[in-house]
Amino acid sequence: MKNNKPIYPFAAIVGQEKMKLGLILNTINPTLSGVLIRGEKGTAKSTAVRALADILPDITVFENDPFQLSPSDEFDVYRECMHTAYGKEIPARDQVKTVKRRVRVIELPVGATEDRVVGTMDMEHALKEGEKRVEPGLLAAAHRGILYVDEVNLLDDHVVDVLLDSAAMGVNTIEREGISFSHPARFTLVGTMNPEEGELRPQLLDRFGLCVTIEGIQSADERVAIMERRVAFDQDPEGFTRQWAVESQTMAERILQAKALLSRVEAEKALLYEIAQYCLDVGVDGHRGDIIMLKTAKTLAAYEGRSQVTSEDIQTAAELALPHRIRRQPMMEIADNVKAVRERCTEAGTQ
Amino acid sequence: MFEDIYPFSAIVGQDELKLALLLNAVNPNIGGVLIRGEKGTAKSTAVRALAALLPEIRVVAGCPYSCDPENGGWMCDWCRENASKGRTVLRRVRVVALPLNATEDRVVGGIDFTLAIKQGRRTVQPGLLAEVNRGILYIDEVNLLDDHIVDIILDSAASGENRIEREGISFRHPASFILVGTMNPEEGPLRPQLLDRFGLCVDIKAETDLGKRVELMERREAYDLDPQGFLKRFKNENARTAEGILSAMDHLNAVRLPKHMRTFISELCTENNVAGHRADLIMEQAARTYASLRHGQEVLTDDIAKVAHLVLAHRRRDAMPQPEPDQQEEKPHEGADQNGQKQPPDMEKPGKEQGDQANTGADEPSRRLEEQFRDGEESNSAEVPEKKDSVEQIFEIGATFAVKEIATPRDRIYRRGSGRRSRTRVSLKQGRYIKSIPGNRTGDIALDATLRAAAPYQTRRKRKNGLAVVLRKEDIREKVREKRIGNFLLFLVDASGSMGARGRMAASKGAIMSLLLDAYQKRDRVAMVSFRKNEAMTNLPPTASVELAGKLLAEMPVGGRTPLSAGLEATYKEAQNHLLRDPAARPIVIIITDGKTNVAMGDQNPVEEALGIAARMASDQRVMYIVVDTEEPGIVNFGLAARLAGALKARYSKIEELKAGQLVDIIKENR
Repeated sequence: MKNNKPIYPFAAIVGQEKMKLGLILNTINPTLSGVLIRGEKGTAKSTAVRALADILPDITVFENDPFQLSPSDEFDVYRECMHTAYGKEIPARDQVKTVKRRVRVIELPVGATEDRVVGTMDMEHALKEGEKRVEPGLLAAAHRGILYVDEVNLLDDHVVDVLLDSAAMGVNTIEREGISFSHPARFTLVGTMNPEEGELRPQLLDRFGLCVTIEGIQSADERVAIMERRVAFDQDPEGFTRQWAVESQTMAERILQAKALLSRVEAEKALLYEIAQYCLDVGVDGHRGDIIMLKTAKTLAAYEGRSQVTSEDIQTAAELALPHRIRRQPMMEIADNVKAVRERCTEAGTQ
Repeated sequence: MFEDIYPFSAIVGQDELKLALLLNAVNPNIGGVLIRGEKGTAKSTAVRALAALLPEIRVVAGCPYSCDPENGGWMCDWCRENASKGRTVLRRVRVVALPLNATEDRVVGGIDFTLAIKQGRRTVQPGLLAEVNRGILYIDEVNLLDDHIVDIILDSAASGENRIEREGISFRHPASFILVGTMNPEEGPLRPQLLDRFGLCVDIKAETDLGKRVELMERREAYDLDPQGFLKRFKNENARTAEGILSAMDHLNAVRLPKHMRTFISELCTENNVAGHRADLIMEQAARTYASLRHGQEVLTDDIAKVAHLVLAHRRRDAMPQPEPDQQEEKPHEGADQNGQKQPPDMEKPGKEQGDQANTGADEPSRRLEEQFRDGEESNSAEVPEKKDSVEQIFEIGATFAVKEIATPRDRIYRRGSGRRSRTRVSLKQGRYIKSIPGNRTGDIALDATLRAAAPYQTRRKRKNGLAVVLRKEDIREKVREKRIGNFLLFLVDASGSMGARGRMAASKGAIMSLLLDAYQKRDRVAMVSFRKNEAMTNLPPTASVELAGKLLAEMPVGGRTPLSAGLEATYKEAQNHLLRDPAARPIVIIITDGKTNVAMGDQNPVEEALGIAARMASDQRVMYIVVDTEEPGIVNFGLAARLAGALKARYSKIEELKAGQLVDIIKENR
């Protein structure tokens, strides 16, 4: 897959800082479980997600492993999966080659059928050999990677159900067409949508760790910059990418450093109380808001090169982690300013 | 499983949930638990964590159905043949997850394809129901499960066995299991028959205590950073819980249930007006189990109190619907309302026949109730002062409520689309593959079923081209897929001055809003036409954005005269336009009016004209009409909306009749 269509460099995207931040934070910390990008047409939503592939870190996988399992943590699973799916016996870890490759962005097209998403029976093998074999689906390919759904609100309902199922369990279980098999499927879910075409189901909404709403840029200078860069890219993609190579490199390194730092980032107890209070103030369903907010704040600190979470991190985290979790009146729009909501809520409380 | 499971004892709070799960672990007779709650409240985490604590059971060695060696009369066909060997093994009780994508053949079991081809033998390949025998069947998001699969599960849950009669196989094996399901009520309700199958039900909410929320965050972080270390930290506590389960199991038979306690239980159930006797039986079991967990010798009142709400949560109903304070003033009218329906006042003689027709039409939907909705929340019903007709006003949206099921009848027309309202067979290779049938008309071949059909003959057929399987035409099976599609809901809203009187518009808007909310849940397309003054206008062209419809509704002004026939005509055009684009569609038109038309398009009497148009509109069978009558029940009722409904052959309801009934009525009706 080397000679792909050139990708517009992530670093060259003008503005849309919130969206970029959301994507970067997810790259640093995959347990943030994804980001939903809401916005009107032509606001570089898809460009940004595709460009992300450019700055993603490397992971180690077994060679030709359709399930993208981790050699360090999931060897036993690998063995089991290869056995049940292909009848292959894997003797010992050191006899399997491992390779390093970029984290992948797997695209889930809106028209995808359920069997392609979860996996199905390998038809060719069944006809030729008279044996059942699993043909893994997109969920297998997305393990430890990014599952990208463009226009996620237009996704077929039963495909959404299946997605929810495995996003919740971190495991994809296939019980269909004579196949009984399961494999790990933990992925970062990235979705883009245009709210004009209808909202997302609440349950699916909650599965996205972060949510950003973006708008067209209003500043004339920036708009000009967008046009100039786009034209430059279209005329000479390679040259343009080269031009931005240094910036992309810096960004990728910063992400790597943040990844390394992340596990050492600490948050004081008082700040945890602040998070909990924040969530109570604005009214969020369940506890996922709290957990994601803490994770986001920690990742933010790591991204800034700090090992201590600050109060500002929490404010920023709230804007990313809570907009889609605030309990809304039926059919109210998703808030794009969490702080304002909080002020309103606390005011109403004191009166 | 693949991942380290978050330890059960490390779950913060949610004591009810933990209790319900423990009770089931100790005593399988309780019959499972349904966990209802908002997102992100450790529903799934708790169930998966339970698996690690479950005790061991003795099973016949090698039996794929986990038969109980001590129960010879209740064994599978395999064990009956091989029983003489008599070897047994101990293993942990299993938690088997039923994924939403499961197809019928994997749930029930079917022919073993590989064996059939290689040896030409018909052998059973056990399905999920075999695997789950004497274990726990766990269904995440159980309300999203396909109806077809639900039927199969209900069937074997009721009979305790699974019969395989397919693909030339006839086989039966025991399949008794504990059902554990989670659901988020936001995603739609659960079928009542399935609801009743769950022994206990827990409604869970997020913690509101700051300290607990912080503790929860800390634990989750600690677990994510170092799962192994975290598990070690809670190992002892988990082991204690597991021991508790084991000793409670041993002790269970020794717990006595005094007679007066049994009376207390049945009184409790009667008081809560539960349907049937399942609640009594389950409460008895649950109370004994609770007593056993605390090592008591007999059941005390306190034991019953601890478990009662778990048993009653999904079965309780109010004997009499309790009148809300702001409804009380309407109370006297309600009697008049019913009178008005059954016997139209004398001045309405010409409309009597139609009125009666409409009346039966109104009863019909209540019989069709299939789903349980929570009672509507009557929060605000804005008192709007009376104003003159000529003044334009904007009314607030009144109280909303859960609405009854509205869906077009299921048919065999194949169509495409997305949503959750009406079920339909789908033609594209979309939708859930639920089963297969012989033949190949759509090109959507069910390979698995085709291979299974061909498998037994493979040893006799000649192979060619190096293929292991030779298919003949008669082997071909095609997939039957099914999915729900959203409907097209067209709202025709009377925005004339007469609707503004006495807060009726607020109530009407509330009703429309409720229908819109329902449409939102079922992902319908909606459009809205309103009529006032001298004309009808399309406020909202067909869109999937129900939000937009809601916003428009809030801003809709009221005032002026009532050009009903113009409204009807505009509606008809919209519906026809939609049908042109999508001939397989079955639009639902919802007309919200009091029917008091006073503007005609031609020179006819406005009422006659409107009824005439309505009768012509009714001739198109593809459109389904619902008339919601907003006429305030009073001494003088015109019943014009009812006549309109009669002319349209529409379902007719008053606003309050749109509200969904409760579970108990539904169960009664299904029996």
